[in-house]
Amino acid sequence: MSHHNKTLVKKIGIYFSYAVITLFFLFPLLWIISMSFKTSQELFAIPPTLIPETFAIENYRYVLETTGVVNYLKNSAIIVFFTVIFTLLVSVPAAYALSRFKFKLKVPILITVLMTQMISAVVISIPLYRLFSNWNLLNNYIVLIIVYVSVVLPLATWFLKGYFDTIPAVLDEAATIDGANRWQFITKILFPTSMPGIVSVTILVAVQSWSQFVIPFILLDDESLYPVSVGVMNLQSTQQAVTTHYLAAGSVISVIPVIILFVVFQRLIVGALTSGAVKG
Amino acid sequence: MSNFQSVKSPKIKPGKRAFVNSPFPWLLPLGLILTFVFVYPIFEIIRLSFTDASLLGADYSYTTESYGRLFGHSEFFSMLLITAIFVSFSVVFQLFFGFIIAFLIDQGQKLDLKGTVIVRTSVLTAWAIPGVIIGIIWRVMYTETEVGIFNSLVGMVGMDLIPFLSDPTIALISVIVANVWRGTAFSMILIYAAIQTLPNDVMEAAKIDGANGLQRLFKVMLPMLAPIILVTLIIISIDTFNTFDMVMALTGGGPGQSTEVIALSIYTTIFREFNLGQGAATSVVLLSINVIMTLVYLKILGRQGEK
Repeated sequence: MSHHNKTLVKKIGIYFSYAVITLFFLFPLLWIISMSFKTSQELFAIPPTLIPETFAIENYRYVLETTGVVNYLKNSAIIVFFTVIFTLLVSVPAAYALSRFKFKLKVPILITVLMTQMISAVVISIPLYRLFSNWNLLNNYIVLIIVYVSVVLPLATWFLKGYFDTIPAVLDEAATIDGANRWQFITKILFPTSMPGIVSVTILVAVQSWSQFVIPFILLDDESLYPVSVGVMNLQSTQQAVTTHYLAAGSVISVIPVIILFVVFQRLIVGALTSGAVKG
Repeated sequence: MSNFQSVKSPKIKPGKRAFVNSPFPWLLPLGLILTFVFVYPIFEIIRLSFTDASLLGADYSYTTESYGRLFGHSEFFSMLLITAIFVSFSVVFQLFFGFIIAFLIDQGQKLDLKGTVIVRTSVLTAWAIPGVIIGIIWRVMYTETEVGIFNSLVGMVGMDLIPFLSDPTIALISVIVANVWRGTAFSMILIYAAIQTLPNDVMEAAKIDGANGLQRLFKVMLPMLAPIILVTLIIISIDTFNTFDMVMALTGGGPGQSTEVIALSIYTTIFREFNLGQGAATSVVLLSINVIMTLVYLKILGRQGEK
């Protein structure tokens, strides 16, 4: 009986800690959502109201109509889409080579790739800024996307390499006996069997690229080309303190895509993070 | 995994297929992109650090003045100190909370409790939000009048309002708190994964031997988790040294330069003061920190072995 009580106390304790943790991590998000629905008078209520008295949906209409947020969202979508595509085009063959070939330079290459991931984006953006401004390539999405791709490539390559390693070599041999060349093996066997891994990489790359700030901040100066991260930052520095509710609405709009992606694919992302990072 | 190694890589047939049978064509795009975006800029930033270049003019000459000025000024060292405080406190608390949350989620799963997924998702959501937005959200919460949520609570218990962002010391603490909120998820998820791999029989054996919960935690679990905690520590340290976006949106480095961490300092020196040479020299300092920490990381990883 005492054992039973002990377990019960433990359960209650854990549930209590869960409530505290969830509140701590969700509160800032709930607060900004609450702010985004307040009228300008309610912003200055003392004490501040937790739940808005009237849901001022017009804040969202105002932000969508008068600021560049819609355009920023469109820009982010374009950049993220092409970053994902090019990252896969480059990292899948590289990961295949690093997983399936035996060659002397393999470990040095893997280490070099890993090292690039540790380097600050601010540091690399400065020489690139100078180079691009000399070549008139600032505000050019093609070079911008190349830089985005390179920043996520190390993670993508390492993760995919790890994933391909788990696919039995027996499949390779069977394909070779059947007369398939390497390319056919990749497209017909490796790709379909690695789908969960490829989807995880896609989501990780998409979330990271959506959040990317330093690179567009330095390499773009045309406001109409800004992705949401830079755009909302711009919104913050141009708006007055009175317009916190608009800034809040803009922030909520810009995180909605990531949060939806994240909650839907939560399980996959956790799997990707754990397997990729523990091995890498 | 290692038993596949021996049967891997099918026999290579010489001849016209030699092209695709060499690993290098497959790696070429990766190599080109990384050379362009990493190797070139690294050499260039080192070269620029030995010049007196300005962002505005094209003329410059070679000099070591940038380093001289950097190491000769106390501002540089106070910036490094601020960065060190920011990184160490962020990292320690992220690891601490990360471990506790991972442990609680694991315990909850063992007891078949509901809600573990909700806890995990809410922690992870903080991590998925772009740094700039995190900065904006916390800035709103840190509002220094009673309109702000934190200060209204402070007012309710009858204390003086806290200058969260305008007092130099408190501003640094505010930035660290926001960064711990942001980064705990990463530590949590890595430690959680490691806890899953712990052999159950060892924990059971300790239980049978009469070790109580705390003893099992400190004498059995923590030692076994030490390697992964160390790896996590280094990854998040590197990440925190490179932090830019969140601080930029939250304080912009202020008040004064009290929250100007190294990445922000590089940006300000180059794009606000146009002092490319000195910004490049600071970049080299950050680069050295990145490289040293990565070498330590590789060393630890190497010691753990390829299993």
